[in-house]
Parts: sequence; structure tokens; C-alpha cells
Amino acid sequence: MSATDPIAAFRIEGGELLDEVEQALLDMGHRLDDMDLVNAVFRGLHTLKGSGAMFGFDALAQFTHHCESAFDKVRKGVVPATSQLVAVILSAQDHMRALLDGRATGGEAAGDDILAALEAAIAEAAGAPPAAPAAKVAGQGWHVVFRLPADCMANGTNPLMLLDELRDLGPCRIVALTDRLPTLEELTPTHCHIGWDVTVETDEPASAVEDVFIFVMDDMELAITPLAVDAAEAPADPANTAPVAAPATAPAAPAAAAPPPPAPPAAAKAAEHVRVPAERLDELMDRVGELVIAQSRLSQIAHQDGGLALRSVSEEIERLAGELRDTMMVLRMMPVASLFGRFRRLVHDLARDTGKAIDLVTTGETTEVDKTVIERLFDPLVHIIRNSCDHGLEKAEDRVAAGKSATGTVHLSAHQAGGEVLITIRDDGRGIDRARVRAKAEANGLIQPDQLLADQELLQLIFAPGFSTAAQVTNLSGRGVGMDVVKRTIESLRGTIEVASIDGGGSTITLRIPLTLAIIDGLLVRVGSGDYVIPLSAVEECLELSGEEDLRSQGRSLITLRDRLVPFLRLRDVFATGTPADPHQKIVVVATGNDRVGLVVDQIIGNHQTVIKSMSPLHRHVGSFTGATILGDGSVALILDIAQLVALAQPREERLRAA
Amino acid sequence: MTASILTVDDSTSLRLAIRLALTGAGYDVTEAVDGVDGMTKANAGRYDMIVTDLNMPNMDGLTMIRELRKDARHAGTPIIFLTTESDADIKAQARAAGATGWLVKPFVPDQLIKIARKVLGK
Amino acid sequence: MTAWTDDGELEVLTFGLGGETFALEAVLVREILDLMPETQVPGADRLAASVINFRGRIIPLADLRIAFGMTPQEDTTDSRIVVIELMLDDEPVLIGLKTDRVNEVATLLRDAAEAPPAIGMRWPRDHIRCLVRQGGDLIVLPDLPALFTTLIARGGEPTIH
Repeated sequence: MSATDPIAAFRIEGGELLDEVEQALLDMGHRLDDMDLVNAVFRGLHTLKGSGAMFGFDALAQFTHHCESAFDKVRKGVVPATSQLVAVILSAQDHMRALLDGRATGGEAAGDDILAALEAAIAEAAGAPPAAPAAKVAGQGWHVVFRLPADCMANGTNPLMLLDELRDLGPCRIVALTDRLPTLEELTPTHCHIGWDVTVETDEPASAVEDVFIFVMDDMELAITPLAVDAAEAPADPANTAPVAAPATAPAAPAAAAPPPPAPPAAAKAAEHVRVPAERLDELMDRVGELVIAQSRLSQIAHQDGGLALRSVSEEIERLAGELRDTMMVLRMMPVASLFGRFRRLVHDLARDTGKAIDLVTTGETTEVDKTVIERLFDPLVHIIRNSCDHGLEKAEDRVAAGKSATGTVHLSAHQAGGEVLITIRDDGRGIDRARVRAKAEANGLIQPDQLLADQELLQLIFAPGFSTAAQVTNLSGRGVGMDVVKRTIESLRGTIEVASIDGGGSTITLRIPLTLAIIDGLLVRVGSGDYVIPLSAVEECLELSGEEDLRSQGRSLITLRDRLVPFLRLRDVFATGTPADPHQKIVVVATGNDRVGLVVDQIIGNHQTVIKSMSPLHRHVGSFTGATILGDGSVALILDIAQLVALAQPREERLRAA
Repeated sequence: MTASILTVDDSTSLRLAIRLALTGAGYDVTEAVDGVDGMTKANAGRYDMIVTDLNMPNMDGLTMIRELRKDARHAGTPIIFLTTESDADIKAQARAAGATGWLVKPFVPDQLIKIARKVLGK
Repeated sequence: MTAWTDDGELEVLTFGLGGETFALEAVLVREILDLMPETQVPGADRLAASVINFRGRIIPLADLRIAFGMTPQEDTTDSRIVVIELMLDDEPVLIGLKTDRVNEVATLLRDAAEAPPAIGMRWPRDHIRCLVRQGGDLIVLPDLPALFTTLIARGGEPTIH
């Protein structure tokens, strides 16, 4: 924070706050009832108002105050969020930014217009039926009634600590229940005879209350019911009234916590879906992954030592685990529409800021991709799109002069092919200036002046760290993000990034991301004393390397397999294991696209379904491996990077062919 | 008053890891190497909480917990046992023996501190 | 760069390596493990040539002896793996450090710290933050982020013979 100019510091902070609020608003466009987003918007506006007042930005503080009050109504559930409301606040963003920067704002009138629109939006929203409450909306707190087992204190449980933990969640009203106290003669002083009735005001979900009782859960009586929301402020619309005000009062059976009220019958659409916190899906995914590992170990044992009965059950479990895995994959998939939607505003603003006319066209929004991939793709895509708008697309006059339409187009598309998702970002701008890329690469010492490069290699240079062809890194494209970070992010998703460009015609960037992030079918092999996994999808065939063929191909890099010359690699040499070769070497022929290579290994162990773990950053750039996996016995096997190994084998083949 | 915790485990590294975590959070920690040592130390001192592994030579954790609970001196002392994931059977046995709560191995220091705070208050 | 407190203290974990005593900030320590099976990573830098399974995550196992030019030694019953979490390039990275023995958690005093001498040092100066005297020992405080950042920058290439 600048000690010398707090106002300048606040301007920066304020700008960042507005960015965050804007993002949340844009996301809300797709998820109007997401309370996390509503809270985020409210918090941002609230902070902006408070700090603004502190630093003398009175007009901003006043204006923001109205937006904050409007959103407070949404936050408290008085009024549902509507897209109209979101749109008004979005338009207010520009006004707030102007107030922040001290720019001309069109005077008070502009501000008043927006506030009027805000009021209209609120009035309209209040009349609209409220959305069915999401299952995780906690409301105002919980009513907790519990009785502990009599001997709990002797075993170290301290009910006072439990009450303290409840107090940590929020203000409590606690009433002791003495209805089960025995008479004095029958009383055992070390026993707990008192129950408690606690009303706790909190935003925390029921699970936070359950956590308090985690050690005693199995033996106690526990009833958790939601507190009633103040019914007075909810709009009276009898046909569609959501049961926000209807607590379920039936005390639950011991150790059962009553869930928040179910969606009303009127909201038929909501009843078909269940909202699940993302972490629960991730946990489930981890469990399924562990199940896969344990099941493969079971298969191993069953096949080695097991009788018929065991083998048959093991196969059944293998089938079930596979189906479970496939279902899990589907659960985590989300359409890319949510991702693509966020770019509309981006392109709209970029067009405005660069003074160019730009259209964003999207296709394949319904293509589904794993949830984590969607989140990780956002930044790289923003950067690529910004690049297109900033450097790729020309100004309208230049385009017309070149015989193109005045409006430039950025085309964002997604589709599934094979086991991958392909996302392309295509613009019809001027294309990548190859001469400039070359010059910059030479200037940075990335390549030698006379070095011959294939076209794709030249274009891939734009991903080298520290590289940037922009004469100055503009405010739009720069953010410390560079194309090298984009490439790293895609690679961390085990994907690849390709570039194509036509001079004067535009550029296309293609991202290929594997669909199955976490679990693959692999072939387990041994080279030296280490085990390695080859993705089964790349394996064409496995053959034994005959002794004579082995001898004949010493010192060569091509081997004859079934009358075909195939490049091959002795993995023992590639990995420098230093161990003597096993007799009866095996060769696993793998392929990517049209290229194949035979990998010579000591032993083929068998098929293995495994959970892929990513490599540590310290090992990310070690060639030959795309990840690692944990085998049934807890040991680690590295997963081979087939594309890299194939590429490794190719040049030697080409050199030989040329010779 | 600083709370004092007795940690009972035959693994030196695990004891050290527990000690690091708890002393870092401001607790006093005493170590014992097995059930017998644990009983001796528990009877010789005053501890606000005991953390114990179950699998130990000379006297295992379950036996130690049962013996401790027979003594009125230790009534009310929270005893937390360490268990490996998915061993529901052991958990039930340990709780029947008189344990208060558990922590699943492997654990991060923060989890242990969270349990100490839960059981000892702030 | 060392995070001494305002009172000029630093809580560290001291450990033995190649006959010398080293220390690292206690706050970095995630866990201390007994030795476990390692898996070699062909093509990786010698400093972190293998990986271990740490609670379901695959983390590098680093042998600091390499960074300090010490001769490799046999493992003993006192050998331990200290798992630390470092921020490298704004990313939290878990790393296992092999040690001959783990000593204790101690408090170092800044007043007892000296910069590594310009000459006469066995080890590369930029691998060390400072040396601290304590109880008759000279304790080495290595610069772990520097060590591992250079490792990442060096990268690794598969070799073909």
C-alpha cells in the first residue's frame, strides 16, 4: 500500500473491487440464485462504499450505497435476483468506475437515471415469484436439540466444550433440558443427565453443526432443524410461495439431522436437479480413484492365488468399479457454455477499448468438459482472446482496405473427438507475422540465425518464456500472463496447444485436452528395476523380441516387425538404468497419429487401471513422463509420455532415410 | 495456564511430528513410547489430553485406554486415538474401551491442532 | 530474506546431513517420515532424482548432499524424510528431504548468525543463507527456494545412448 498516497492506492483497490464485482455479476447471469455470487457482489459493493467514504469519494460512496442496498435485499432473500437487476448494476459499474477515476460522468443526471432503473428493477423483482431455494441456503440458523450418552463425560467428552463450539458458530440461546434427571438416590454424579436445546444464529450450513458432535454422533440424540426466515418480507404469491418460511419441526431419530425443507411441488423444474457442493464431488472422485487402485490389487491377488469363486467376484467388482468410474466422469462434466459466456463481455469491452469492431461467435457450447478443466481454461482463453483482439484483428479501415468485412470475428468453438476435447480460437485478422517472430526469437537467443525451422516449430516459439512480439505489452494483453504460462497451464491439464496462421487471413489456436483427467487404462511394464505405465489407448501390439532380432538391431534405430520397419527405443538405454537386460526382451509398439515406435522393455506385467497423479513442478519438465500413478502396493510407477517418445524416435529414422 | 498433552506412540518420527504440531500451537507435550510408558507417565503427572496410537509393543493402545479408564483419576480426561482410514471395527472397539475421539492417519498438523482445540477449548 | 521475528529469533528444525548440522524454518515442515521405498525418475536432476508416495501424492525426494558436494551415504536407522512445503514461482510445492537424522525444534538467534565467508567455504555460497552459532555448533541455514528454483530452470532432458 502506498504510504504516500492513500488515494492513489484506493483507486487501484477500488478498480480491483469493481472487477471482482463485475465478474460475479456476469457469472450471475447464468446462475441467478447462486447465493455465493450474490454475497460476493454485496461484499464488494459494501467495501467500496465504506472505503470510498473514507477516502473522500463521497459521490461514489453515495451511489454505491444504493446498489448495495438493492443487493442486500437479494442477499436476505427479500427479493430474488433477476437478470434485469444484474444488468442495471452492470451498467452502474461504468458509472462507478468513472466516479472512481474522477472522470466526467455525464453529471448527476446519468447517475440518477441508473438509480431510477435500479428501483424499477427491484420493484419488478419483488413482484416476480422467488426462485426455489437452493438446498444449501442456510437461512438464519439452526435449532439444535441434543442429549449425550450418560457415560460420555467419563470418556472425556465435555458438553461445555460442545456448547462453546456451537457458540463459535454464532450467537446462541441455550436452554438446559432437565426432564430426564433421575432422583437424587438414583443419580450418578459422573453421568450426564442433562440435554440441551440450543438456538444458534448463523449462516453456516447444517454440516458445521454436525461437525461439533462428530465424536459422539453415534450414541447421542441429535435433532437439527432450520430456523424460520422472517416471513413478513417474503412476497405473498400463494401459487408459488417457496417454503423458505416453513421449518420442519419433527424431531429426527437419534443421530439424524433434519435436512433443509425440500423444494416445493410448484417448482417442478428445480426438483429434477440436486445441488451438490463441488468439494463433495471431488471427494467422491478421490474415493472412486482409491477404489480403482484397491480393485486392481484385488484382481492381482485373485488371479495369482485365488480360486474360481474369488476370481469371479473380483471380475464382478472390476466391472462395477469401471461403471462407477464412468458415471463419475459424467457427473463432473459441465458444458463449456458457462465458460464461453464469460467472454462476451470481454470481447465487447475489448472492442470498445481498441476502437475496433469485433464479433464473438461461439459454437459447440453444449460440449461437456470436466469441471476443473473449465476453471483452469478461463485464464488461458482470456489471454488468447485478448491477443487476437489486441494484435490479431485490424482496425475497421485496414480491414476494408484489405478487402475484408469491417467487423472482425473471433470464433470460439469446442467439440469432442476421440478421447479429447478440442477448443479452437480462430480470428480472421492479419495472422501471425512470422518474420517478426523469427526476429524476436533470434534477438532473445532462442534460436540461431541460420537455424532451419519447420513452420509449426517457428509458430510454437511464441510460447517460449519471455517472448512477446508486441512492440509494447499493452494494458490489455499484459498482466504478467504471457503465452508461456498459457502453454504451461494447458500442459498441466495434459493437453497440447497448436498454432496455425495464414498471412493476412488470421490465426487459429487449437487446444487439445484429454477427456479423462484422472483415470486411465494402462499397460504396466518393467524396465530395469522400475515399473512404468503405458497408456493403453496408445498401444498397438506387444511382441517378444527374438534374440536374433535383438542382436541384429544393436546400434540401429529401426527394427523389422512383421515385415515392417519400425523405429524403436530401448527404454533401458533411454532411462540409463544401468541394469543388464532380461532375457526375452519385449517390445511394445505404440502410436500417436500416424507415427509409431517400438518400446523395448524387460517385462510386460499386465493391464492396470490407474489414477493419474501429476508430477511435482520440480519434475514437470523431465521429458518422457506425463505423470505418475500409485500401484496397489503403494509403490510409484511413472506414466510414459508416448508423444515425446515417438518424437524422440522419429528424427533418427528420418536421418536414416535421408542417408 | 498452558494445557499439557501426553502423546503415546512407538514411532519416534510420529511422536516428533505430533510434538512439533502441538508445541507450535502452544501446548506442553510429554512423550511416551508404548502403553506401559504411557500408563506410568499418565499416573505420574496431570495431563489435559492424551493422544495415543493403538499398535504398540509391550502394551497396545486399546489395553492402555481400558486400564486408564479403570482409574477414577483419569475420568474425564479426553483420550484421542490414532487410526488408519476405514477401520470402523477398531474405532468401535476403542470407543467402547473409553476413548473420546479419534484422528485418522495420515494427518496434517492442523487437523491435530483442531482436535486439541475442540477437546480442550480455546 | 530469512523470516526472523521482530525479536531476532527463528524457529527451526535442525537435522544432520553428512556430518554437519543443517536447519530449516519449522513452519515449512509438514511431516517427518521414516524411510520409504523410492522410485527413480530417469532424466531428473541428481538433486531430486526420485519420488515417493506421500499420502497419495507423488513428491520429489531431494538429497541435499548433492547440492553441498557431500559424498552419498548409506541410510541408517536414524535416517528420516522431512517433508516441507515451499513456495516456488507462486506455487506451493511439497518436497521430501532426506536426512541422516532429525534433531529437534530449536530457536536460532539472529545475533549469532554470520554470512557465509567469501572464500574458504566448502560449499557454493549461493546455496546458503547464513551460518548460525548455537551451543558450540555451527548450523547451516541453506537457501532452499534458491536451490530448487535453479533446479526447475535447468529442467531435464531424456538421454539416448
